[in-house]
Amino acid sequence: MFYAQLIVNGLVQGLIVGLAALAVTLVFGVARFANAATGDTMTFGAYAALIGHKATGSLVVAGGAAVGATALLSLTVYALVFRKLAGRSVVALLVTSIGVGFLLRSVLGIVFGHNQQLFTVPLVRPIRFNGLIINPFDLQLAAVAAVALVGVFLVLYATPIGRRMRAVADNRELALVSGIRPERVMIALWLLVGAVTGVAGMMLGMKTIVSPELGWEMLLPAFAAAILGGIGSPVGAVLAGLLLGVAQELSTPFVGFTYKLSISFVVLLLVLLVRPRGLFGRLEGVR
Amino acid sequence: MSLQITDIRKAFGGFQALDGVTLTVGEGQLVGLIGPNGAGKSTLFSVVSGFIEADTGEVRFKGADLGRQSPAARARKGLLRTFQVPREFSHLTVRDNLKAAAPGQTGEGLVGLFLRPGEVARQEVEITAKADEVIAFLRLGPVADLPSGRLSGGQKKLLELGRALMVEPSLILLDEPFAGVNPVLIEELVERIRELNARGIGFLIIEHDLQALTRLVPILHVMDRGRILASGTPGEVLEDPKVREAYLGGAA
Repeated sequence: MFYAQLIVNGLVQGLIVGLAALAVTLVFGVARFANAATGDTMTFGAYAALIGHKATGSLVVAGGAAVGATALLSLTVYALVFRKLAGRSVVALLVTSIGVGFLLRSVLGIVFGHNQQLFTVPLVRPIRFNGLIINPFDLQLAAVAAVALVGVFLVLYATPIGRRMRAVADNRELALVSGIRPERVMIALWLLVGAVTGVAGMMLGMKTIVSPELGWEMLLPAFAAAILGGIGSPVGAVLAGLLLGVAQELSTPFVGFTYKLSISFVVLLLVLLVRPRGLFGRLEGVR
Repeated sequence: MSLQITDIRKAFGGFQALDGVTLTVGEGQLVGLIGPNGAGKSTLFSVVSGFIEADTGEVRFKGADLGRQSPAARARKGLLRTFQVPREFSHLTVRDNLKAAAPGQTGEGLVGLFLRPGEVARQEVEITAKADEVIAFLRLGPVADLPSGRLSGGQKKLLELGRALMVEPSLILLDEPFAGVNPVLIEELVERIRELNARGIGFLIIEHDLQALTRLVPILHVMDRGRILASGTPGEVLEDPKVREAYLGGAA
């Protein structure tokens, strides 16, 4: 029963990792680089949600603020930075994204200070179900994550722009010859990625404590999940995120709370050694 | 004139790949382009389709100078190309491959997608119908919902042709459409190209399979070392001693 409880706790954590990994994998698949600013963009989303929540006390407003502000930030960073570097090497883009992350973290530190801030959510009596303790707030968060996921997958698989995003991710050169406008695809991509990252950041902030370092620490699990899921595979990223979240929670009795993050390292190493294309991978995605 | 290529030159380092190529393809004509390996045929295709820029010379399409227009812009004008090694969006289904290539979709931007969902839905119906029409025409029905990466080489060539057909083409450049395709599918491809030509679509075809090509095209150009060596009907051209020496000698 103890372990079942850990699994339940791990699922919410896993949804957060999964959303972050989804953002990483979408950028990697379409824009073709590992975006190390993903974590700090999440932090931005958490602060946006915090402001929205403090001003109105409404979680819906908090969510809207996180999604809207982070999507705009994401698009702005693309327009000012990544667009200018299109066609440069993967390393140049990766290093640039690390720089963008640093900048975001520093600005958030200056503006909001390094004090830890909390979402003040009303305490509710937990639901007991066959001895399992489930926090209703976790259920709400899980519902938010589910809505976000359904939204992303609908855009990706049921709309013309999603089809074109997948086409560009699949074969960029061919997409160009086929008359697909890359700029439009990129704008849609960064808005979508920003929205997903915002939701992930808000959830992380609500589950833990909001500080400027909040998202940075999520970067490794997010990358690990993206690689485990097979880089470029959206479904894989989400499932791998869930797996990783649960694995981290399950490991706490053995390695302690402090080291549960290290599980991501272990998973990352194992995947790269044993199955470099990930669980749902496609090698040709990494060109 | 549909396509007018005038005195195109292109050097890669010290190698003169195209050394003053002049060639025209009339409205709705079927024209073949042959020559030994390294003659510059594929380079010429890349220049015409906008993949590489010529050093000098001019490409005009339907009378207008194409200048430095991107491949995508040329595609939207109706000048399409296929590749020697077929390319496809390998994780997309055959139908989605075709739908992705349909031009002028309102839903290709997020703004249009969310502000005009009705229009997007209507276009989706049209585009799907058009894709299904192309699928039926190319006899790709049985594989329409498979990821295109799983198609055979010949089916991928058909899909390439299909993607070009989604754009209302007026001229399609085919780069070795019969290479690596089994004989049954070659017949299939020849038939489809004939039918499309009967609808007024022009073709410029690079091909090494002379038997299949000469049955298809009334006009043949031979390239060698970056120049047009001879032009005429297949009969005339293949009898030309210069061609026999350069092409057949070079191929041996």
